[in-house]
Amino acid sequence: MTTMTEAVRASSTGGTARKRASRTRSDASRAMPAFYWMVWPAVIAFALFHTLPVVIGIFFSFTNYAGYGDWNFIGLSNYINLFKDSRVLQAYGFSFLFAIVATILTNAISLAIALGLNAKIKARNFWRGVYFVPYILAILVIGYVFQFFFSNSLPKILAGIPLFADNILTNETWAWTAIVALAVWQACAFAIIIYLSGLQTIPTELYEAASLDGASPWRQFSSITFPLIGAFFTINVVLSLKGFLQVFDPIVALTNGGPGTATESVTLLIFRGGFSGGEFAYQTANAVIFFIVITIVSLFQFRVLQRREADF
Amino acid sequence: MRLTHRRNTRAIGVLALVSAAIVLGGCASDPGGVTTLNFFQFKGEALEDFNEIIADFEAENPDIRVVQNQVADADTIIRTLLVKDKAPDVITLNANGGFGKLAQSGVFYDFSDEPVLQTINPAVQEILAQLGNKEGEVNGLGYVNNANGVIYNQEIFEEQGLEVPETWDEFIAVCDALQDAGITPFYGTLADSWTGLPSFNALGAYPSQGDFWDEMRAEGENVGPDSPVSFQKDFAEAMDQQYELFSYMQDGYRGKTYDDGNAAFANGEVAMLLQGIWAINPVKAINPDIQAAIFPYPAVDDPDDRLLVSGVDVVVTMGENTPHKEEALRFIDYLFEVGVIEDFAASQNMVPSVQGAEISDDPSLQSVKPYFDEGRITGFIDHQIPPSIPLAAIDQQFLFSGDAQAALATLDSEWAKVAARTIPVNGD
Repeated sequence: MTTMTEAVRASSTGGTARKRASRTRSDASRAMPAFYWMVWPAVIAFALFHTLPVVIGIFFSFTNYAGYGDWNFIGLSNYINLFKDSRVLQAYGFSFLFAIVATILTNAISLAIALGLNAKIKARNFWRGVYFVPYILAILVIGYVFQFFFSNSLPKILAGIPLFADNILTNETWAWTAIVALAVWQACAFAIIIYLSGLQTIPTELYEAASLDGASPWRQFSSITFPLIGAFFTINVVLSLKGFLQVFDPIVALTNGGPGTATESVTLLIFRGGFSGGEFAYQTANAVIFFIVITIVSLFQFRVLQRREADF
Repeated sequence: MRLTHRRNTRAIGVLALVSAAIVLGGCASDPGGVTTLNFFQFKGEALEDFNEIIADFEAENPDIRVVQNQVADADTIIRTLLVKDKAPDVITLNANGGFGKLAQSGVFYDFSDEPVLQTINPAVQEILAQLGNKEGEVNGLGYVNNANGVIYNQEIFEEQGLEVPETWDEFIAVCDALQDAGITPFYGTLADSWTGLPSFNALGAYPSQGDFWDEMRAEGENVGPDSPVSFQKDFAEAMDQQYELFSYMQDGYRGKTYDDGNAAFANGEVAMLLQGIWAINPVKAINPDIQAAIFPYPAVDDPDDRLLVSGVDVVVTMGENTPHKEEALRFIDYLFEVGVIEDFAASQNMVPSVQGAEISDDPSLQSVKPYFDEGRITGFIDHQIPPSIPLAAIDQQFLFSGDAQAALATLDSEWAKVAARTIPVNGD
């Protein structure tokens, strides 16, 4: 969550803040030693608990370590075998399909809700609180509620529709849509907050001027609102896609990768194959590849989306 | 400001020392000549039983204190403990494929010369040996066993005048008779993918007798339709049989869960469950008066060829180099005393492995007793299949689609792929 807010701040406050910051820095000759004391623990903790494990993980991806016992170096074999493994390729296919659909839905729905919550409605703060609740609940707990809903309630409510009557979670073709429903339901809460904060940065004078000129609400949205929250849109899309690519808990709660291996995401495959499957090194190699893929996708998105952000 | 800073470091230092003392203190033996044994215990439902056993043991052996560590996800935790060279003194685990892998790597004690080994049913030790031991050693002692068979409602069978089927044709005839009488033969629970496995294990046990798994491992990456042994070659009939049984399920069996199945069986809605002895306790929790027993899958034409699939539910072992070897062995000998193991097995609704130990008079256990007495038991075949193959998922997919050929081809190709990427650790 902290990384999210920092990222929003960095991409939203643009150039002016940076300029101001550099001016203050030149005014003071040197930072106080206290600031170094504040920085070092974080740097050390980050290196110790994040960077070091990552480096160790990359190291083990070149071995045949099973998670225990002896091991040897085996070079790039794990990586070569990954590309021959149809199960891995299927997991990547599922993760991307899921992530793209869920990202589009999350952003469309949460932008719409944020617009509503930003309008002058009754009990506005109450509604804002209500929409944030899904983010507070533990996804695994809520997942089991959803699972009960899909496998027991929906078959009774919609007994006439074969897709739902037969428990959608065990339908090979459509089980993923149920996971999308749960993931989007939860992800919207945080996306709404980001969009709300974005909407509040837009000065109301702009809307007053536009309505005096006779601009329709849709024109106001497409010409004022959407361009001015461009930075927030970028960060939301990038973060949702990244988060949805790494989807794990909703799948565990709803289908556990099934039926068959139809809803097995990359992270679930890494977890299962690496821990219960005893292929620690092989799935570590998979994780390294996945890390690279996500980094490339996110950087690419930033480039494309930031180019169309409004400059102000 | 500097002062507070120093006080904070001191506080952190004290905290670190205290926590280190707690961690280290767990390992040290008490000064008064009392040895503390670290007892690693995986089975949550057996916590109370072991507490009683330990209390009795400590009363008899005042110089030994046993600390039970009951953990969730024991398979992962025991690995981390072993990696850190902190093997517990006495260990219980579920005897699955993972246990076999650990035993092969030589992290457990060798029981070959221990007298307690002679008291155990050899067929049980054979199942453990098939999972894996370090070359020439015996690394685990089977404690209690489960039985994987068809659970049936004795009252329904009696009302319908049905006998326990002994051949495949009789089995199908029983299903037809039940269906004609308006009773659903089985309750299917395929929403939980693993619930397809018990019947797969039981039916697949027949074609995989003998050296099947050794030959499969020897074939490795060459396993396929043309290799001497393969799933596609040897398992076609077993898959057809499994699919045939699933055609006798209730409507909507694809969307029901294991718990639904136990409830339906307990309430007498169906006549049989394709589960094992482990389902009896949850069933009895719902309906304590149900009369349920078990018969092995009669997948053969000759009743004498029937085999009961049984797994070692609890295996007892100890770390290879425990400093308290003598005390640990005393505790293990106590666990295997006939009276102790009988009580434990009865409470857990399992079959004790010690020869001469009586099985409790529960009908479900009595019905499988002859197979243990005659040694007509065989292990779970899914323990022979590498855990990185998603067996439950493949079987579930097959039971949905009915395409046995595709499922067997997937199993073969997964086997070949796993064999190709499993690069053995060489000596140096």
